[in-house]
Amino acid sequence: MAKKDKKPVVGFYGLTGCAGCLLSFIFNENEIVSLLGMVDLAAFPFIKGKQGDKEFDIIFLEGVVCSNDDLDMLKKLRAKTKILVSLGACASTGCIPAYRNFIDEAKYLPLMYEKVHRIKDKDPKPIDAYVHVDFTIPGCPPNREEVKSFIKQLILGKTPRLYNDPVCVECKLNGNHCLLDEGKICLGPITRGGCDSVCTNGRFECWGCRGPCPDANYEAFIALIKDKGHNSRTLKERMQSFAGLKLPDELQIEDAPDYVG
Amino acid sequence: MMKKVNVDHLTKIEGHATLHVKIKNGVVEDCRLTSIEGSRYFEGMLKGRRWDEAFEITSRICGICSTGHIVTSIQAMEDALGVKPSPQTLMLRELLTIAERIRSHATHLYFLALPDHLGYESAIAMIPKYKKQVVSALTLMRLGNDMMVLLGGREMHAVQAAVGGFRKFPSQDAIDDVRKRLEKAKADAVATAKLFAKLPVPDFESPCDWLSLYKKGEIGMHYGDLKGSDHTFKRKDFAKWLKETHESDSTANFVVKKGKAYFTNALARLNNCHKFLSPDAKKILKASKVKLPSKNTFLDNFAQAIELVHYVDESIRLCKKLKPKKEKIKDFKIKAGHGIGVIEVPRGLCWHEYKINKNGEITFGNVMTPTCQNLRAMNEDIKAYLPQILKYSESRIQLEIEKLIRAYDPCFSCSTHFLKIKWDKT
Repeated sequence: MAKKDKKPVVGFYGLTGCAGCLLSFIFNENEIVSLLGMVDLAAFPFIKGKQGDKEFDIIFLEGVVCSNDDLDMLKKLRAKTKILVSLGACASTGCIPAYRNFIDEAKYLPLMYEKVHRIKDKDPKPIDAYVHVDFTIPGCPPNREEVKSFIKQLILGKTPRLYNDPVCVECKLNGNHCLLDEGKICLGPITRGGCDSVCTNGRFECWGCRGPCPDANYEAFIALIKDKGHNSRTLKERMQSFAGLKLPDELQIEDAPDYVG
Repeated sequence: MMKKVNVDHLTKIEGHATLHVKIKNGVVEDCRLTSIEGSRYFEGMLKGRRWDEAFEITSRICGICSTGHIVTSIQAMEDALGVKPSPQTLMLRELLTIAERIRSHATHLYFLALPDHLGYESAIAMIPKYKKQVVSALTLMRLGNDMMVLLGGREMHAVQAAVGGFRKFPSQDAIDDVRKRLEKAKADAVATAKLFAKLPVPDFESPCDWLSLYKKGEIGMHYGDLKGSDHTFKRKDFAKWLKETHESDSTANFVVKKGKAYFTNALARLNNCHKFLSPDAKKILKASKVKLPSKNTFLDNFAQAIELVHYVDESIRLCKKLKPKKEKIKDFKIKAGHGIGVIEVPRGLCWHEYKINKNGEITFGNVMTPTCQNLRAMNEDIKAYLPQILKYSESRIQLEIEKLIRAYDPCFSCSTHFLKIKWDKT
């Protein structure tokens, strides 16, 4: 890490995405001026007109790789930085854009234009499918407090650690009534927490945006959901929505036919 | 003599875009602004998904307007299913999307637009001299964000709004607290509007018409008809007026109105609805000598700043009126249907259209974002503006065009249809 007398050189970049993860950093409104004072912010194209062309200590990168340009940029950024942090769900799991990997091409091919069918973009993937990633900040969007704490720890040369328990732990601590008991398909039991169960606090079921938690018991979870009479196709689609690429390859979920349009 | 302006990565906009301009012997030969975001095909991913999943998926089109997409999506699905939301639901949704507009306008005006005008490369670089203004922006952003946390559950990708109602409700104390903070932040909004009223804008007239929602008494919110300079149409008739198209040699998707480009943004809203502004917003508009309606699209930033005052006033009014009580989400039967949702979001009109079958599965989804609609107008404006600035150096031309583009507050992530293509730069 950077020497004590020198501020770490930091960059914030985005591949294809929605800018929400970059905003999760900016939305630390009360601390952002002091946070920025701790670093040499060399690049942040979203809010800066000029980007410094130097070696970075840390690059925070949001977005999914779904075009050759994305991949070129990712490789360039990886080569320029000591630490690469995947910021948010697109960069970390592929998020909703990567759900495209699981659907029939017929569903989206009509959206491509006739003349450019052959210029086919890349199947959307998280950045660790292509390069080494040093740290991951999960979530769609990532929790702004978590982003702040990650940055502070990295500046201090510490090793940030992720929350490993499933969402259910925080959800219980927050005193929420279980949405599974209310007949919802809630992915809380198999999803990494650390979000303060923000969705279930709002009475909305977890869709798994932070990716699978370590040692998730998929078999028991899938059996539970099926036992409650849910359509297994809906369950599969939910599990694939935010983090399908991070599920174990051998996982069998579905026994219902796919939608045929 | 050949001049070329090539901006491969426009900065201080949301998402990624390139601009290529070719000028030969003082004549603009070519001008293209295009998104270089990878394609995400949201509409394709909706096919076969359940009716209650559309908002959670389409919300991811854009982090800045996620709440706008959620409310539009819910409105379209309610239209398809024949669900009538309660008056309280409608008020909570209004407050939710106004909160997003406050946050978005404050972010855009101070972080993306103002540095251009004051000659800084970023708002961060402005801090030593303009700390007060930056703090004003951050105060308004935090307030908008806290309102969204209260009503939607978090800053973006709200979770509490649902088809047929809300999953969770704010307490009266929390609403009162927000009202007090709004009353305090009013001064920041007024200062912003006065600051932008003073910034000079070039003498310019866009060749394009405008379009916004129009409902008496409102600055384009969630309901009403669609209104341009000399025509009005019903939302259900949109397909007769608006058409998605693309140019034969390009992959960018545009929306046109009767074959012509149009702009949809804060200026379009004020062109149609300025007489419904709050008294204090109206006062600043009057003092500014800006005459509305106007086709000077550089004025969009000023229009956003005027709206900021109005939205703070409107939020205070809604907070005073709201007596939040727990309501059950409306009961309804799943049936086949076709629905349209259109609301105003910070950058203009947002359209969602769905068809669902009798099982509640989505068989068709279509999203038209503000940037898809504005893209052609931005191109037309750049072409129309270029002859005025050809006398300047290439770097100055670039800056002037960037100012015009940023005035639109484009959001290239929103451009759900765009494909990346290689540009022929010869």
